[in-house]
Amino acid sequence: MTTTEGRRSKRTEILEARPVNLDGFVEEWPEKGLVAMESDFDPTPSVRVEDGRIVELDGRARADFDFMDTFIADHALDVETAEEVNAIPSIEIARMLVDPRATRDEVIAVGRGLTPAKILDVVKLMNVVEIMMAMQKMRARRTPANQAHSTSAKDNPIQVAADAAEGALRGFAELETTLGVVRYAPLVAIALQVGGQVGRGGVLTQCALEEATELELGMRGITAYAETISVYGTESVFVDGDDTPWSKTFLAGAYASRGIKMRFTSGTGSEVQMGNAEGRSMLYLEIRCILMAKGAGVQGLQNGSISCIGVPGAVPGGIRAVAAENLIASWMDLECASGNDQSFSHSSMRRVSRALPQLLPGTDFVCSGYSGVPNADNMFAGSNFDVEDYDDWNTIQRDLQVDGGLRHVREPEILQVREKAARALQAVFAELDLPPITDAEVEAAVYAHGSGDYPDRDVLEDLKGAQAVMDRGVTGLDLVKALERTGFHDVAENLLTVLRQRVSGDLLQTSAILTDDFVPLSAINDANDYGGPGSGYRLEGERWEQLKKLRHVTSAENPETEVS
Amino acid sequence: MTAPAAERSLTLKEVGQAQRGSRPDEVVIAVSPAFADPFTKTIVEVPHAEVIRQILAGIEEQGVHARMIKVWDTADLAAVAHIGARLSGSGISVGLLSRGTTMIHQRDLPRLSNLELFPQSPLLDAEVFRLIGSNAAQYAKGESPAPVPTRNDQMARPRWQAKAALLHLKEYECIVAGRRPVEVEPVISRLS
Amino acid sequence: MTTAPDLGPGDYPLSVNRQDLLRTPTGKPLSALTMDAVVAGEITAEDLRISAETLQLQAALAESVHRRQLAQNFRRAAELTAVPDAEVLAMYNALRPRASSREALISIAENLESKYHATVCGALVREAAEVYERRDLLAREED
Repeated sequence: MTTTEGRRSKRTEILEARPVNLDGFVEEWPEKGLVAMESDFDPTPSVRVEDGRIVELDGRARADFDFMDTFIADHALDVETAEEVNAIPSIEIARMLVDPRATRDEVIAVGRGLTPAKILDVVKLMNVVEIMMAMQKMRARRTPANQAHSTSAKDNPIQVAADAAEGALRGFAELETTLGVVRYAPLVAIALQVGGQVGRGGVLTQCALEEATELELGMRGITAYAETISVYGTESVFVDGDDTPWSKTFLAGAYASRGIKMRFTSGTGSEVQMGNAEGRSMLYLEIRCILMAKGAGVQGLQNGSISCIGVPGAVPGGIRAVAAENLIASWMDLECASGNDQSFSHSSMRRVSRALPQLLPGTDFVCSGYSGVPNADNMFAGSNFDVEDYDDWNTIQRDLQVDGGLRHVREPEILQVREKAARALQAVFAELDLPPITDAEVEAAVYAHGSGDYPDRDVLEDLKGAQAVMDRGVTGLDLVKALERTGFHDVAENLLTVLRQRVSGDLLQTSAILTDDFVPLSAINDANDYGGPGSGYRLEGERWEQLKKLRHVTSAENPETEVS
Repeated sequence: MTAPAAERSLTLKEVGQAQRGSRPDEVVIAVSPAFADPFTKTIVEVPHAEVIRQILAGIEEQGVHARMIKVWDTADLAAVAHIGARLSGSGISVGLLSRGTTMIHQRDLPRLSNLELFPQSPLLDAEVFRLIGSNAAQYAKGESPAPVPTRNDQMARPRWQAKAALLHLKEYECIVAGRRPVEVEPVISRLS
Repeated sequence: MTTAPDLGPGDYPLSVNRQDLLRTPTGKPLSALTMDAVVAGEITAEDLRISAETLQLQAALAESVHRRQLAQNFRRAAELTAVPDAEVLAMYNALRPRASSREALISIAENLESKYHATVCGALVREAAEVYERRDLLAREED
């Protein structure tokens, strides 16, 4: 059948206009590492041990090790079991991962000695459903949780505080911020810290910055944890990132020495995006990152491609590889903050499907950055989900009976915490002699959606104030005092409790968060005991009742009304 | 929307090994290995000639001198910009990758920090490049300009990240390991 | 130095179950860190830090659940509690690529070992020096 030149199918036109066709897709280029996980250029698994040292790793002799090989061989792998476990057929290990009757401890014991190429070999045998099944068992903490971003396109501290309070109320266990203008950091970090303690007690906050600056803010108690401590899968890219496995390991110790929780960050696609994947697949290189993190002794890892998600998202099987990398982190007994934090598609359908491999089985943090502000205000260049998706998210939880860490909250409660957060920050700024927050700004914060709904601040004055915070050595304790003096006793007490946790170090253990009652909950006292149907974490009881609530639910008792 | 730029080409004439500058009123523009050759435009097809023309105009408007270098042994933006900052008499530089990602850097800052960062290359147009030049010049004079306002497009990553990765792979192939930065004279000429 | 008691998963969290074992670096029990004490000016930023002893306890807990690298991280951290903030940051920066000569790194290791008795950290730095030399990551002349 011939078509008339120029005449198009109406259906084609409609399909061309679909959001998904605005996304970027590329052909695989395995030689350059532009391939998800199936590449002929990845090494064949091998390991040889001599005199208690690994002398060959995935086809490379020790004399030819780059610093990643050296670090992995000397710190990550269990030398005692390496030769034995690497000899187990990959199909057997893959089945152990999926089979609920093989316990988490058993599977971890095998995993401890596996080389990067062997780990890849195992997960290549698993489809995405099998990966999810394994994830259910392998995550470290039994109870899933969630993390949000709270940022502002104008680096407006009041917005950050108000949205932090709402996010905390909705259920996020961790909150993250970053800046458009780096010099604004002290004020915005303070806003996050204060706002985060208003919604509910026990939320942990971080401010993503350059490594040494981030550590400094943490040391002062203005942030509670750190996450954007990046590691990379090739030596050359790691060096471009101005670090090595040794500097990162030292940094990890530095954080722990100040009682500050931290995790590394890695993700498929970073090496190819920075120009040098050394011909290896994205997942192979990510596995190296995971093992490097393991060797360093950090408690956890943020991964799931993260800011590079557009890269695996552009190649076939990329989202399967992303699901696999989360699984592998958990298999290596690390806390996993599993991505879903970066915009990667114009299509709502694709945004959800990308997140199902983490949402359905549950991970330590289903999102490592759900945007708790409208995406236009998201200074991480946009998240996979934002505030406009709250009701959809809560509905999907209710539809599938899964706990994604969030719940519906009614408007009056939300407005109340937003106002309190803005007032508390206003009081703190006044006490610390920072540029004032007006009543008009507080009022705006209560009802605002995005940064355009707030009066503009004098940015240059704020930047001077931010510098003053650093010069004067303002600490978290000063924030506690300021809150207490101005009558915000409960917020002050919440913040003091979070700071006090540093003394105990309980938040340093794997997957540690604080409950609403400020009790540390981690992989130690909330160990994942999933062993098949009827076991592990189940959405039931009081929590399930909470998650049944949505914005509009018709009452069964009186169908002409809605459940209040 | 500004009128489309007239067709211009940019040639970077090598002048010699880049030296540390002594005049305090200069901004160094540091470009990456593939800038102007073989690439000639940014990821959203702003010609490199236009990019440089606008940055130079912004600097000149502030009464500051501009000097350009090409960095050969890295395609990492922070490294390119910081190398420029360390060679700059004022300590201020503008660093550029071929696809358009830009940074204003200062020599005493940690390499991975910056004065201003423009990470979303698809969002940078001629007007923004002029403002970047102007701000860099103001920093060079010891002033504290308000940061250049930029759009924040959350859909830039889904649309462009993979293409940016491919462009970066190509730029990376142009790296000449160990080759020192070279001072270049930008020659902008009209086509036709 | 007292030996760490035999800790197991049942002792976690220490802040709830074993407050008796916890002290601030300034020697105060957790129970002393009240809001009243803060308001009265009795609490300083130094009181809100973790002590080396506590980190050894957390290391013992990590070992009890077979997380040996995590435990080792806590041991390094225990050693670093003795090092002032600015010096910790300086050491971290010195370990970054091409930031230090071999001599500078060895000198840091010796400082850690002799001044701070930080032998685990010292070993890490020595290891780095060796690897950096092999991989051309020591400071170059012209940097």
